[in-house]
Amino acid sequence: MPGKNIENRVELRNISKAFGGVAALKDVTLKAAPGEIHALMGENGAGKSTLMKILSGALQKDGGEIFIDDEKVNIKNTYDSKELGIGIIYQEFSLVPDLTVAENVFFNQLSKGSRWMKWDKLKREAATIINNIGFDINTGVRVSSLSIAQQQIVEIAKALSEKVKVLILDEPSAVLGPTEVQKLFETLHTLKSEGVTIIYISHHLSEIFKIADRVTVLKDGISTQRLLVAETDKETIIKLMLGRSLNAMFPPRNAVVGGEVIRVEDIYVSGKVKGVSLRVRSGEVIGIAGLVGSGRTETVRGIFAADKLSGGKVFVSGKKVNFRSPADAVKQGIGMVPEDRKRQGVLLPLSIKHNVTLANFRGITGKLGFVRFGEENKKSRELIKKLAIKAVNENAPVGSLSGGNQQKVVLAKWFNRDCKVIIIDEPTRGVDVGAKIEIYNLINELAAKGAAVIVISSETAELMGICDWILVMREGKVQGTLEKDEFNEENILRYAIGAS
Amino acid sequence: MNSPIKKILQFTIQHNTGVIFLVMLIVSAFASDAFFTANNLSNLIRQVAPVGIISMGMLLVILTGGIDLSVGSVVALVGVLCALFTQTLALPVAVAASLVCGILAGSISGYLVSVQKMAPFIATLALMTIARGLGFIFSKGAPVMVDESATALTDFGSGSLLGIPNPAIILLFTFVVTWVLLKYNIYGRILIAIGSNEEAVRLSGVRIWMYKFSVYAVIGGLAAIAGLIGTARTGVGSPNLGVGLELDVIAAVVIGGTNLKGGKGSAVDTFLGVLILGMIGNIMNLMDVASYAQQVIKGLIIILAVLLQRFEGK
Ligand SMILES: Nc1ncnc2c1ncn2[C@@H]1O[C@H](COP(=O)(O)OP(=O)(O)OP(=O)(O)O)[C@@H](O)[C@H]1O
Ligand SMILES: [Mg+2]
Repeated sequence: MPGKNIENRVELRNISKAFGGVAALKDVTLKAAPGEIHALMGENGAGKSTLMKILSGALQKDGGEIFIDDEKVNIKNTYDSKELGIGIIYQEFSLVPDLTVAENVFFNQLSKGSRWMKWDKLKREAATIINNIGFDINTGVRVSSLSIAQQQIVEIAKALSEKVKVLILDEPSAVLGPTEVQKLFETLHTLKSEGVTIIYISHHLSEIFKIADRVTVLKDGISTQRLLVAETDKETIIKLMLGRSLNAMFPPRNAVVGGEVIRVEDIYVSGKVKGVSLRVRSGEVIGIAGLVGSGRTETVRGIFAADKLSGGKVFVSGKKVNFRSPADAVKQGIGMVPEDRKRQGVLLPLSIKHNVTLANFRGITGKLGFVRFGEENKKSRELIKKLAIKAVNENAPVGSLSGGNQQKVVLAKWFNRDCKVIIIDEPTRGVDVGAKIEIYNLINELAAKGAAVIVISSETAELMGICDWILVMREGKVQGTLEKDEFNEENILRYAIGAS
Repeated sequence: MNSPIKKILQFTIQHNTGVIFLVMLIVSAFASDAFFTANNLSNLIRQVAPVGIISMGMLLVILTGGIDLSVGSVVALVGVLCALFTQTLALPVAVAASLVCGILAGSISGYLVSVQKMAPFIATLALMTIARGLGFIFSKGAPVMVDESATALTDFGSGSLLGIPNPAIILLFTFVVTWVLLKYNIYGRILIAIGSNEEAVRLSGVRIWMYKFSVYAVIGGLAAIAGLIGTARTGVGSPNLGVGLELDVIAAVVIGGTNLKGGKGSAVDTFLGVLILGMIGNIMNLMDVASYAQQVIKGLIIILAVLLQRFEGK
C-alpha cells in the first residue's frame, strides 16, 4: 500500500484472558513494526503461547484490542487471522501424523482447493519450500515416521506455504539442533528483508541476541517492558522474567563416582545405530551429543527397549540383560524421559497426579491394586512442589498446562521412581532459564544418590555444564569421547559434523 | 444473556446421559400408566440384563481404544454349548465349562489384538463369524433343549431374589464391580491411561499387552454369562440368539458418553445408557409402536445423545 505509512504491523493492547476463573493474561501490550523480529520472553506459564493463540484466533480474548497495520481488527477464529496474513507455528505440533509431508505442508490449501490435486506437483512444490529453507526431507513419507526436528521443519514449511505478513514462531528452536537453528535464522532474515513481521518465542537467551530487534517480557500475565535488544543484556531480561537474578547456571555436583551400573556393548538399532558402546558408573552424568539424526535418540531407545536391538549386549550392574519391552527395563531400574513430549510423554486429558504416578504404582496402591488416594495426592503435591510445576492443583489436566510445565510433569514421573539408570532425552526442552537450574539440581541429586544418568541434549552448553564426559555421535556411531578438560564447542562440533 | 437458561443448558450438557435418562423416565410415566408398575419395571430390567452385563465389558474394551463385535455370537455359542453340556455333564460343571468357553473366545480376540497387534475391529469381526458358525455347527442348526435334569438352571433363569429377577442381580453386581474398578483400582486407571496415549503408557514401563488382553477375556466371560442367562430363561440354547446384540451394547456405551477412541468413559453413565436404551423399547412396546418405528427412534436418540456430548468441555 504505497503512501500509507504503517507504524505497527501488530499491536496488542491491554489483552486479558482467563481460563475458568484463573487469569492467564492480565494486561498485555505488544507492538511490532513491519520487518521487525520481535522476541517474546517469559517464564513457563507466563502466558506467551496463550497470547499468540489469541492473535491467531485459536483462543478468544476476554478483553483488550488487536490492531493489524494500525487498523483495529476482530479475530474470531483461525480463518480470520489467516485472512489478515497471520501465520503461526504452534508450540505443540499441529501436523496430521498419518498424512504425508507434502499433504501436511499444503494442508490449509488442500481443504480450499477446488481442483483435483496433482500428487507429483504437490510433492515437488513441498520439496521446493523445504529446500528453500535449507533442508532435505522426503515429502512422500508420512509425518509419523519423522523425527521431531524434521516435524518442526515441516511445520515451518507449512507456515511458509502461504503468503504471510506476520509470522509467529512459538519455541521453534526447542526441538532443533544448532545447525538447524542457524538455517532457520537465515530464513527469518530473508522474511524480515521482505517486510514480514516475526514474533519469536524462545527460552534460549542467546538466540534473542542473535536475531531479535526488540523484546517484550511477560511476567505472570503482564507485559513488563519492551526493550531494544541492542540496548539490553541477558541479566536485565532474566531479571524482568524471573523477578530475580540467577547465580551459577550450572550448579556444582558432589556425587561420588562408584562402580559400573550400565554397560552397553556394540549395539545396533534398525540401521540408525551402528555399533555403539558406552559405560556409566553410579554417580556419573554422561552426555550424548550429535546432530539431529545422528542416532542419539535411537541409541537410548534401544537401551530402554523402546525399539528392538538388532545386535549387541546390555549389562546392568554387571549382569547381562535382555529387555523385551520398556516394562522389563523399568523393572531393572532404568527410566527414560523420551524426546517427544506430546506423543511419548504425557497423557494430555488426564490429571497431573495420574501422569506423575504412572511409572510407579507401588507407593500409591494397597491390597489388590486399590488406589490409596491420600498417598497419591500427597505424592503428587510433593512432585509439583519439587519441580515447581505451575498449576491450579494436582487434578488439573496436563493439557491445560503450559509447554514447559508439561515437560516438568514428564520429568516428575521419573523422579517419582528410584531408578538406577535414568536416561533423559532433552531434559530442559521448553523449560525457562530459572527452572533449568532447578532441573540441573535435581539431576545432581539423582547422581548424588548413586544413579547413573545419561543425558541427550542439542544444547552443547548444557551438556558441557552438567556432564562428566560426553560422547559425540554421527551416523549412528560414537565418533569421539570427550573428557571434562576437552569440553568445548569446537571439539564437539568437529566430531559431530565429521570435519577434520 | 439469560443466565438461568445458560446454567440449565450447561448442566444438561455436562450430565447429558443423566438428563436424557430423567427425561425418558418422565416421558415414559406420562405416556403409559403401565410403565411404573412393579411388573413392568422388573420386566424391563430383566430384558436389559444381557446387554447391560456385556456393556460393562464393552466399556472396558472401548476405554483402551478397542471394540468387540463378537459378543452377540459368543452369547449364542455359549448358550448352545451350555445346553449341550447339560446333557452329559453335571450342572455346575456344565456352567463352569460354558463360562470357560466364553473366556476362551474372548482370549482369542485378546491375543490377536494385544500380541499380534491386529486391529480390534477386524479381529473381533473374524471371531464374530467364527463363533456364530460354531454355534450352528454344534447345534446342527436347531435350538438345543436343556436336559430335563437341569431344573436348577431354568429355575434360576426365571427366579428372583427379594423381588428382583436374578439376571438383574447379576447385572447390578457387574455394574458395581466395574464402577469400583474404574474409580478405585489401578486397573481401571491404567485402562483409561492406555486409551488416552498408549505409547506414553508403554514407555512408562506398563505391560500394555496384559491389560489389553485382559479386557477381551473379561468381555468374553461376560458374554458367556449373558448366554447362560438366555439359555436358563428359555430352556433352550439357540444358535440364532444375540444377532445384532453387539450393536445394542455399543449403542448403550455410546449413549453413556464413552469416547470411542478410548480414554474416557464412566460405568454409571454406561449403566444409564443401558437403561435408556431398554426404556425406549419398553415404552414403545407398551404403546404398541411398531418395531420398525422403534428402530428409527432408537437411532435418533443415539444421535441426540452424541450431539449433546459434543458440547461437553467447551
Ligand atoms: N486450556 C487451558 N485451560 C486452563 N489453563 C490454561 C489453558 N491453557 C493455558 N492455561 C494456563 O495459562 C497459563 C499460561 O500458559 P501459556 O501456555 O500461555 O504459557 P507459556 O508462557 O507459553 O509457557 P511455556 O514457556 O511453558 O510454554 C498457564 O498457567 C496455563 O496453565
Ligand atoms: Mg508456551
